[in-house]
Amino acid sequence: MPKGSEEIGNSLEIRRSRNSFLGDTWANFKRWILKLSNTPTLLIMNLLQPVLFLLLFTEVFGDVASAQIEVIIGESIDYVSFLLPAIVIQVGISTASAAGGGLVTDIEEGIFEKLMVFPMSRTAIFLGKTFSEIVRIIIQIGIILGLGVLLGASIETGFIGALGVIGVGIMFSLIFISLTTIIAMITKNQETMFSILMPLIFPLLFLSSAFLPLDIMPGWIRTVARFNPVTYGIDAARAIVLRMDVMTVIDIELFSGMWNSIIPGVLVLSLLVLVTGGIAVLTIKRETSAEAK
Amino acid sequence: MTHQSKRNGEKLILSEEGNDSKPKPSIEAKRVSLVYGDGTKAVNDVSLTVPRGEFFGFLGPNGAGKTTFIKILTTLLKPTRGEARVNGFSVGEDPQAIRESIGYMAQETNVDKDLTAEENVRFACEAYGVPRGVREERIRNLLELVGLYEVADKRVKEFSGGMKKRLDAATALVHEPPLIFLDEPTTGLDPKSRKKLWKYFEKINDRGRTIFLTTQYLEEADYLCDRVGVIQGGKIVELGSPEELKKKVGSHVLEINLKGDKKSGKNAAEIVRKSGILDDRATVETTEEGLNIGSDRTRELGTDILVKLRDEGFQITGFNLHDPTLDDVFLAITGERIDEGGREEPSLNFER
Repeated sequence: MPKGSEEIGNSLEIRRSRNSFLGDTWANFKRWILKLSNTPTLLIMNLLQPVLFLLLFTEVFGDVASAQIEVIIGESIDYVSFLLPAIVIQVGISTASAAGGGLVTDIEEGIFEKLMVFPMSRTAIFLGKTFSEIVRIIIQIGIILGLGVLLGASIETGFIGALGVIGVGIMFSLIFISLTTIIAMITKNQETMFSILMPLIFPLLFLSSAFLPLDIMPGWIRTVARFNPVTYGIDAARAIVLRMDVMTVIDIELFSGMWNSIIPGVLVLSLLVLVTGGIAVLTIKRETSAEAK
Repeated sequence: MTHQSKRNGEKLILSEEGNDSKPKPSIEAKRVSLVYGDGTKAVNDVSLTVPRGEFFGFLGPNGAGKTTFIKILTTLLKPTRGEARVNGFSVGEDPQAIRESIGYMAQETNVDKDLTAEENVRFACEAYGVPRGVREERIRNLLELVGLYEVADKRVKEFSGGMKKRLDAATALVHEPPLIFLDEPTTGLDPKSRKKLWKYFEKINDRGRTIFLTTQYLEEADYLCDRVGVIQGGKIVELGSPEELKKKVGSHVLEINLKGDKKSGKNAAEIVRKSGILDDRATVETTEEGLNIGSDRTRELGTDILVKLRDEGFQITGFNLHDPTLDDVFLAITGERIDEGGREEPSLNFER
């Protein structure tokens, strides 16, 4: 008998794999977490800009800004406490960019195509990756909050409040992860993707309530800020940190104190998560379809 | 070719006849076409059956439709026309079953550089649902098979191109698929790594697995494949064993450069053809520079041909004797040179 024939009967029969959705999600989650733990420098690089912002803004503008804020809000607030929620949102943006970057690298290196040939649930492929990014966001925001506290920030709502800030950060990041996923799936190219993304990030941050209260900004900035999702993320997080109603872009008096900022902020973020997430799912479906294009 | 490795005598190719269980062919394509949105006919009416256990090769230049055809069979692209079955499953109706029962190694090396070799194979195991109990052993065996066990814990970032390819091959084998697709697996590798990879592919095929390979290298198809399809412009233009294919050009090709224009090349071809030096299986093709002559005895007859041309008053500016290349096969089969669409001269083929 020719060699190899004994294999025909058993190992070479056509077998079906019986993967579960949860198993597929877990496998993909694990892959991204492994990548992250194998390249810890990336985690630090990602935090570099937010950390620099936190340090420099507090040092350079701290005194001036605190004085202005006291005039507007009528209360003495340490600038680092005021700024910290904005930096949390900035971390959310930078992590989301990294998420898009990871996807586009997968596409460029053909790993994405290989994933499409693997008998895994395609939803699980994206879900696993997103879960890993949430873990990453929790770690990064945790580091930033710790650093902020070291620099003198006080989170008025305590540990529960810190968890709330992380929660807002995650929600906000999901919007941006959806956006970077859409851009990654369409451009399929690192350079194109970042040339679209980079010019957006700074205006989004500066044309929001990130660095100073909107009341002292020119009218047009206030208008832009009203339509800028960054504002809602920051105001919700800031309300938790300062334990007060800080939202000025929409005026809601239905609840009490900080909840007048947190609830509308979270509602706007939820709506945006649904919309951008939906568009991302449709884009993924379209771009991964086997129809000849 | 010095490294003949045909293993047909000892290898098992399951044919339909005389077998009770009648295994389905690994690949059955019936009149498959794929037209892209911009009107490009990447695959044009291809019908093909690959029996189980065969090492089949698709030979063709860039843009011939090789990768598109593989993408159809691996469920990445739906054919715009025709029907294809892989491992008995329809590409249109049951892509999931196909994904579960094939291995695929794409043209680019698809391994994760941030992970170690072992982590890459482990992820593939999880993706293909390799049972937990056999996973460790499978990972070890595969890394040993492709010679990467010693560097299992090294990050792929540090690997050479050849090592990455071998790792990629290992990840395509974790679920012991009965059919493996290799899309230009050795393009861009140095000759040494290429030959090393060939050995692994041979080993895999010797275990009874069907392999569907695409390549631009005639040498590769010749070394590995039981049967080769030459693809050009999305169509199969020739199908047969490498031996049959090479007979089209003979064992060696003599390239002769002549002074003068194309007309002198044509005249020279006519003279060589009528000289009686070559038998009627030989091919004589005109090229930009002069002539290409392919025959089983080119090596012995080369001097006679050159002397004859000189005696006839042609000025020979150079000549070169080489193993037949894909280019030569193409020239002989289609009368066209690769990548020179439109510039080709009508061929003078002794078979016609």
